[in-house]
Amino acid sequence: MSNIKILIVDDELIMRESLAGWLERDGHAVQTAASGEEALEKIEETHFDILLVDIKMEGISGLDVLRKVKESDPDAEVVMITAYGSIPSAIEAMKDGAFDYMLKPFDPNELGVLIEKIVQHQEQARENIYLKEQYKDRTRFESMIGQAKPMQEIFDLICDVAPMDSTVLITGETGTGKGLAAKAIHTNSSRRNGPFVTVNCGAIPEHLMESELFGHQKGAFTDAKETKKGRLELAHGGTLFLDEIGEISMRMQIDLLRVLEDRVFYRVGGTQPIEVDFRVIAATNRDLETAIKSGDFREDLFYRLNVISFIMPSLSQRKEDIPLLAEHFLYRFSQETNKPIDSISREAMDEMMIYDWPGNIRELENAIERAVVVGRQREILPENLPIFCHEPAPAVRAHSLKDVEKTHIERVLTENQWNIARSAKILGIDRSTLYSKIKRYDIEKIT
Amino acid sequence: MRPLSPHTIVISPIGDFTPELLDRISEEIKRIYAFTTDIQPLLKDIEFAFHPNRKQYHSTPILDELARRAPADAIKVLALVQVDLFIPILTHVYGEAQLGGKACMVSTIRLNEGHRSLNTQEPFLSRIIKEAIHELGHTFKLRHCREHTCLMHYCRNEGDVDRKSDQLCRYCRVLLEDDIKRLEGK
Repeated sequence: MSNIKILIVDDELIMRESLAGWLERDGHAVQTAASGEEALEKIEETHFDILLVDIKMEGISGLDVLRKVKESDPDAEVVMITAYGSIPSAIEAMKDGAFDYMLKPFDPNELGVLIEKIVQHQEQARENIYLKEQYKDRTRFESMIGQAKPMQEIFDLICDVAPMDSTVLITGETGTGKGLAAKAIHTNSSRRNGPFVTVNCGAIPEHLMESELFGHQKGAFTDAKETKKGRLELAHGGTLFLDEIGEISMRMQIDLLRVLEDRVFYRVGGTQPIEVDFRVIAATNRDLETAIKSGDFREDLFYRLNVISFIMPSLSQRKEDIPLLAEHFLYRFSQETNKPIDSISREAMDEMMIYDWPGNIRELENAIERAVVVGRQREILPENLPIFCHEPAPAVRAHSLKDVEKTHIERVLTENQWNIARSAKILGIDRSTLYSKIKRYDIEKIT
Repeated sequence: MRPLSPHTIVISPIGDFTPELLDRISEEIKRIYAFTTDIQPLLKDIEFAFHPNRKQYHSTPILDELARRAPADAIKVLALVQVDLFIPILTHVYGEAQLGGKACMVSTIRLNEGHRSLNTQEPFLSRIIKEAIHELGHTFKLRHCREHTCLMHYCRNEGDVDRKSDQLCRYCRVLLEDDIKRLEGK
């Protein structure tokens, strides 16, 4: 924390000198000004990282100095120095953009902590600007692709959110890239060198969830032959990604809430409390507020998770990204399958642009994979795309969307002999989503 | 290690300090700075620095007076006091030093958890020695070091003092040697 340029503005010589001496011993480059006028002259010539400004001065007051600094050098942070009697002015200064205020005389530790806090804040702001510049006009951010405005906004948001340590809730339809966004937040956070541990809440059967999350001691239950660390413990120092959080049971919601509040838990069968330090990112395609109303999701857990939240745009909201994404998947699958398919015909692209992609990017990915597998020419044609194979609509007697979805899932599962992986692929959703939908719609295998 | 310099660092107790403590500080100064030492009470009365409202002693004028009274062959002066010190902008300080100047001082009070009587049992003895060497470092232009184990690390509390080592880090050692060379005109 060296080379921090600090300007002390105080009309009392003894205060200026004692503070300057202290801060110089702390390794900072310190200048002093005996009046508001002198301070403004110095600000014209030099950029200061921090200004410590006495509120009460003859001539140009501390508040005037603050306002001028915020106009001419908004990156500089101003701390107001105040005596007990002028606290209301200090509060007014906070409204005008002062970083903080300190009552004379300061506790040396509080001064040190405040300066560290400002330096960290400035470093974080610089890092954000750097990240934004780096990704400006770019179509890729970490593993995500997108040039459409909604995605550029998501990239900016991730840059802003990543350095904070707050819990993030990512919502959005299935296949919109919530997992990739969570990973991008982790990669751009200070925990980047720590683990990124995913818990797919929809894919883990309820009876295994407790052991999976909390781990277990040897002998805790019949199959516990060895002590095993749970995902919470494995995420220590890094990020815990709770995917499909809307699918966890009420019991697990209570357990999870306790861990998020206390950051302490016990392994199943364990007596030793285990302290953990991780950032939580949760994702869901469910409307949790509706789930709260219907009693399926705890309101307190929702508020614990919903500190910062954003919605991943659906593919239909960013249709201009379809060519970019399609080209990306085409390149990947042609490499993987070693097939010399290197373009998409105009007609096929038109079809893709018209289609609504309810399964979002995952559906597009699967469509391109299938087209590469079945394609026999150098370019992808409309007939290679599953969306072009207009089949007669299934005879559905139900009327609600939910009923249509349930019936469609049942049909695909039956056609594929309940092969979950294959059915999920055809439906354009991942396996865990399919499992959760089977559970939610109470779909049973008919033998 | 350099041979002992003919220049002297004066240790100046203000108040009653045990010979054992003064000897230990003297040994540590020789070990870290390689200067000869001399124990000389330069100031008996520091009431001129007492602030009745704060009931504390302002360290800066004491340093000025010590620097003025330093013997001609003294390269630095380290004073020890058993009173609570302050500088006007801060509520208290463990000690103060003239950065790159002649004088520095350390108070034993806050290192002894606020007790006015001198305690030379461990860990108090080590705390006093570490902070004395620390303040002396400032007079050789050393600033606070981010390395937690370095003697020049700024400690926020007694626990921090206990955790830091009795050594300067490699970086501070190099800077110290630079300043000593400059002072000795090499």
